[in-house]
Amino acid sequence: MHDDQKTLEPNESVHMTDSATTGVNTEGGPPKMTARHVDVFYGDKQAINDVSIDVNMDSVTAFIGPSGCGKSTFLRCMNRMNDTIPIARVTGDITLEGEDIYAPKMDVVQLRARVGMVFQKPNPFPKSIYDNIAYGPRIHGLATGKEELDEIVESSLQRAGLWGEVKDRLQDSGTALSGGQQQRLCIARAIAVDPEVILMDEPCSALDPIATAKIEELIHELRGKYAIVIVTHNMQQAARVSQKTAFFHLGTLVEYGETTDIFTNPREEKTRDYITGRYG
Amino acid sequence: MNSLTETKRRPTDWQGAEMQKRIAGRYAAERRFKAMGMAAIALSASFLAFLLVVMVGNGFLGFTQTELPVEIDFPAVTGGASPSQFQGPNAEANLQVMGLREIVDSSIEIQYGPEGTDLFSSGAWTAVSAKILADPDIVEQKSTVNLPVVSDLDVAYKDEGNPEAEAKVSELSGQFSTGFNWNFLSNSDATDPMQVGIWGAFKGSLITMIVTLMLAFPVGVLAALYLEEYAPKNRLTDLIEVSINNLAAVPSIIFGLLGLAVFLNFFGMPRSGALVGGLTLALMTMPVIVISGRNAVKSVPPSIREAALGIGASPLQVVFHHVLPLALPGILTGTIIGMARALGETAPLLMIGMRAFIATPPSGITDPATVLPVQIFLWSDEVDRGFVEKTSAAIIVLLLFLLIMNALAIYLRNRFETRW
Repeated sequence: MHDDQKTLEPNESVHMTDSATTGVNTEGGPPKMTARHVDVFYGDKQAINDVSIDVNMDSVTAFIGPSGCGKSTFLRCMNRMNDTIPIARVTGDITLEGEDIYAPKMDVVQLRARVGMVFQKPNPFPKSIYDNIAYGPRIHGLATGKEELDEIVESSLQRAGLWGEVKDRLQDSGTALSGGQQQRLCIARAIAVDPEVILMDEPCSALDPIATAKIEELIHELRGKYAIVIVTHNMQQAARVSQKTAFFHLGTLVEYGETTDIFTNPREEKTRDYITGRYG
Repeated sequence: MNSLTETKRRPTDWQGAEMQKRIAGRYAAERRFKAMGMAAIALSASFLAFLLVVMVGNGFLGFTQTELPVEIDFPAVTGGASPSQFQGPNAEANLQVMGLREIVDSSIEIQYGPEGTDLFSSGAWTAVSAKILADPDIVEQKSTVNLPVVSDLDVAYKDEGNPEAEAKVSELSGQFSTGFNWNFLSNSDATDPMQVGIWGAFKGSLITMIVTLMLAFPVGVLAALYLEEYAPKNRLTDLIEVSINNLAAVPSIIFGLLGLAVFLNFFGMPRSGALVGGLTLALMTMPVIVISGRNAVKSVPPSIREAALGIGASPLQVVFHHVLPLALPGILTGTIIGMARALGETAPLLMIGMRAFIATPPSGITDPATVLPVQIFLWSDEVDRGFVEKTSAAIIVLLLFLLIMNALAIYLRNRFETRW
């Protein structure tokens, strides 16, 4: 419960702006990632309709909404994971630090290293814990020697709060860990390539409440170092971990704003209905 | 409507006679199925046992030879050769100039009369030469060596031969002994069944299999990976998939004709060589590897691909660092099946000239060679009764080869198996 208190503290800048519902940020420094008028089609079916949103460095952004509302689809557009689906088509602009990530000259491999992803189901490689973490730095050439690599592995595991639990068995298989540990391993694996943004697609939906609490705590600690976007079904979780919340419904962004506002004083009827559990 | 159906429906009588009959019928069906399954297993087990008993029983004799003792007075016939002549690098050359064949023949004639050499296998003297090389000291004294008899006598002694040979056997009874036929393991094909060996065909099979594996495995795996991971799913790839599936079902003799037309006639590769044999068998094995490889690649969980892509692995890295290692056990299983089939294949190799009489083992991929199944086929066709047991013995060697190959592949598969 201590998590609740942490997040629900009054935020530093609680200005509602006119652009709140479109998700465009007009305050503070330049946003880490921006999306403008994004449409996503799967074949003929439109999954995302004209979504514009900003993601800031200093805050955790939560995407909430009923199943099938497009929040995961939108998240996967942000590091072009949708490229792997042949029928998916994305229009509109998504930028990372002002660079269009869908521009032809953008290297997808580098983009995905800069915008890391944590998936719904923990998916460690069937390799040792060490190799799970070291894989990313190895393929991107981030470490020049064994010592540097060891250092990256240790610091990544430490940041993911897993070091103490696994430091004596780094050569054990990553798949032998418990579900919550596996998910933290996956977060450590994402951190190891030194990303700027971490996308989390319902990272706790396969975990028990204790493991969930640990992940949420971890998200708190990572905030500020990385821009974090988290998709969640769990509205309490969104309230606990995020500073900004975006509510998606039927492929459109209904409302985007400070988490406290969304949960205490939503502007849209639909948002109010959803967070009070009247539908969805 | 609703009330109508409700009133019509009687309460189910779970204990009634009709229900009991249903239950009894269900149990009977289960028992029938179990009995039939066990009968099927018993039948196939008995076939296998029959095959093994017959093959091992017959084939075992093929590894032995009937021998008669011959006394050779080495100091007298060689004029005092010293053991040191038959040691070191010049040993073989010294043996050749010595005229060992005549020495052995004359010793036989002294002991068994002027017709005595007819009792012995034409290559009997080579057994003496092997003995000298193994133990040069025997040339210093009068020694008795057991030499293999002629094939007719061998058959007559072991089993039942022609009347003349049987008469000879009873005449000389008591003098025969049985020895291990080392020639069978070290020689190649010959016209005299006492002198034939499996080594040439074994080596031919080995070289052919290596050629097949070298070609079929990488090509098959690459094709499987490309089709599963890279190729767009469209009409062309569907067509390719159907073609590969059909290719796996094409009768093997057709591949032989293809090999004849393409490799021999068009490319002009050397006839009867392990190269052409291996290439032809690779054509046959490849579809099997592609099909099993695709299934193995398909069964790698997509979450692993996503995980690797998510931290910025390129599609190539995803395939070679993650998908291929996880799919390898499955691919190896398919490869075993394909290679086992290729090892036992005769028909396509007959078409490309590997049925020739090859008396020297091949030393390279272009040398004329034969393979174990073709050798078995050729020997089974021989008139001479001495070949019957050699055929069975060759079958044992082939089965052992297969067993070792499969054991190796299973070992490799288990090594690469990932524990989840």
